[in-house]
Amino acid sequence: MITKLSDIFKRIETQQNKKKLAVVAAHDPHVLDAVSRAHQDGIIDAILIGDKAKINKIIEDNNYCLNETTIIDEPDNTEAVNHAVNMVREGNADILMKGIIDSATFLRPILRKNGGLGNGEIASSVALFEIKNYHKLLALTDGGLVISPDLKAKTGIIKNAVKLMRNLDIPRPKIAVLGAFELVSESMSATIDAALLSKMASRGQIKNCIVDGPLSFSNVISSKSAMLKGFESEVAGDADVIIAPNIEAANVLYKAFVHLAGALPAAVVMGASIPLVLTSRADSEDIKLNSIKLSASVGPFSD
Amino acid sequence: MIKKLSDLEHYLLSKKIHATLVVVAARDTNVLEAVLKAKKTGIVDIILVGNRSEIEGLFSEHGYDLCEIEIIDEPDDVAAGYRAVELIRDGKAHILMNGQESYFGISIISKPILDRNYGIQKGKTMSHVALFELENYHKLIAVTDVAINILPDLRTKTAIVDNAVFLMRRFGIDTPKVAVLAAVEVVNELMPATMHAAMLSKMAQRGQIKNCVIDGPLAFDNAISKRNAIHKGIVNEVSGDVDILLAPDIETAGMMYEAFVLFENAHAASITVGATAPVVLTTKLDTPETRFNSILLSVCTYL
Repeated sequence: MITKLSDIFKRIETQQNKKKLAVVAAHDPHVLDAVSRAHQDGIIDAILIGDKAKINKIIEDNNYCLNETTIIDEPDNTEAVNHAVNMVREGNADILMKGIIDSATFLRPILRKNGGLGNGEIASSVALFEIKNYHKLLALTDGGLVISPDLKAKTGIIKNAVKLMRNLDIPRPKIAVLGAFELVSESMSATIDAALLSKMASRGQIKNCIVDGPLSFSNVISSKSAMLKGFESEVAGDADVIIAPNIEAANVLYKAFVHLAGALPAAVVMGASIPLVLTSRADSEDIKLNSIKLSASVGPFSD
Repeated sequence: MIKKLSDLEHYLLSKKIHATLVVVAARDTNVLEAVLKAKKTGIVDIILVGNRSEIEGLFSEHGYDLCEIEIIDEPDDVAAGYRAVELIRDGKAHILMNGQESYFGISIISKPILDRNYGIQKGKTMSHVALFELENYHKLIAVTDVAINILPDLRTKTAIVDNAVFLMRRFGIDTPKVAVLAAVEVVNELMPATMHAAMLSKMAQRGQIKNCVIDGPLAFDNAISKRNAIHKGIVNEVSGDVDILLAPDIETAGMMYEAFVLFENAHAASITVGATAPVVLTTKLDTPETRFNSILLSVCTYL
């Protein structure tokens, strides 16, 4: 059982070689800020792919410690991603980070099965939280990428989360599928999907996890709540992962944890054979750094 | 626990259960013979509603004993149905039986049963339960719904399960095991039967459907045979020990019924549950034994 993010980050210390993080469209001051800190702290070796002139200017203007980093001049965003993907395939990069390029353009070549780093699954963002009143690390997905997942997308979201948790040595994570309450209601598709996903996991259609849902948020956090409502659940009160019904629920929960529970999450985007870092401007510097640390602590991911 | 339908008579006698059976448009000799046999056990009293002179003629022609049988003269079949339902509503009779067999369906008594003002359906879903004694199965097993609900939606399936569970609990099976049958045992968005099955399973877990354990989707062999289920990696409480087989539609239920009777030499008893009183609807294809067992089965609902 993992209770602290720092337990995960310890892996960085025992690595033989530092992980190589390639930033695509790296002429982004916000991203370079986090990358330079990570580079300075010895967490990763950075490779910056983008408009070389702009990159150098940003480094100079802000006095970033990115002196020995490799800078690859590629001003075209799509070409930059392609270059990055090839680097990974050749073993010259371990992590890909999004710079000043839109998510779709960034992800498309990466998620490609032929010539890319994908395996047919969607990409989804998983955020790991230390929550004050919860006994272990809690993952939340997907607050950043998939807007209105249908059943197939939710399956992909769960698979991605399971892959990450297993990479963190949790062999059979407990997945809570969130709903407004814990009953199946035909008028609430979130509850229908939850019931279907539960059964799909027990039938082995989604492997290596225990899925229960629908569960309301209080059921997820507290098994007493489930007991009061009179039902048994392996997941209630002991969830490893929360699957939100849509991006709004996940995003609001994420922001509530950060602003009201003082949490400092680490997020990674799953779906490729290596970890992807997609930070947002709304993320604080510490959160950005945590995400880089997490990406350096996990992966590569096999099927 | 009753293992054989032939135990029904003794079981009811030992519980000292007694009920009044009212037969509508009592002109079918097959029905009359079953009714008289049931009367002879001492478990039921009989009221015949129909054309008095026709009934008396039949009795004398076949040498049946009219002793202690009440006849209410009502030559019009539909009116006879209403009269019989009135007796049920007034508490003067407890079981309704169709006295004019056809090859299928509810026929003449459906209208009075379903009548909004004078009927006994009371807005609830009625469904047919066929109870089988099979050579190659270790206990009685119910199949539903062979006769009434053609293509039930989720809500109707919930009611069908409730009705079948109600019946099985009369025999002391506290928490009947329900298998929701489908063509495959995995959830498939293109197969509504599998999705309903997953939802019904979860609804039982959440206590939305009470007093039963539900698993599905299950293919027929996985429902009946624990070995087959385990072979497919399905571990559950229901497989191999199922009490109720819920078919996705009337065709499937009907064919199971026929297959059991024709290939398995099954003994059967049928009853329609859901109204304020059980309804016995026999068909021309039933054996005398089935008709007799069905009457006794209907008395069981008063246990």
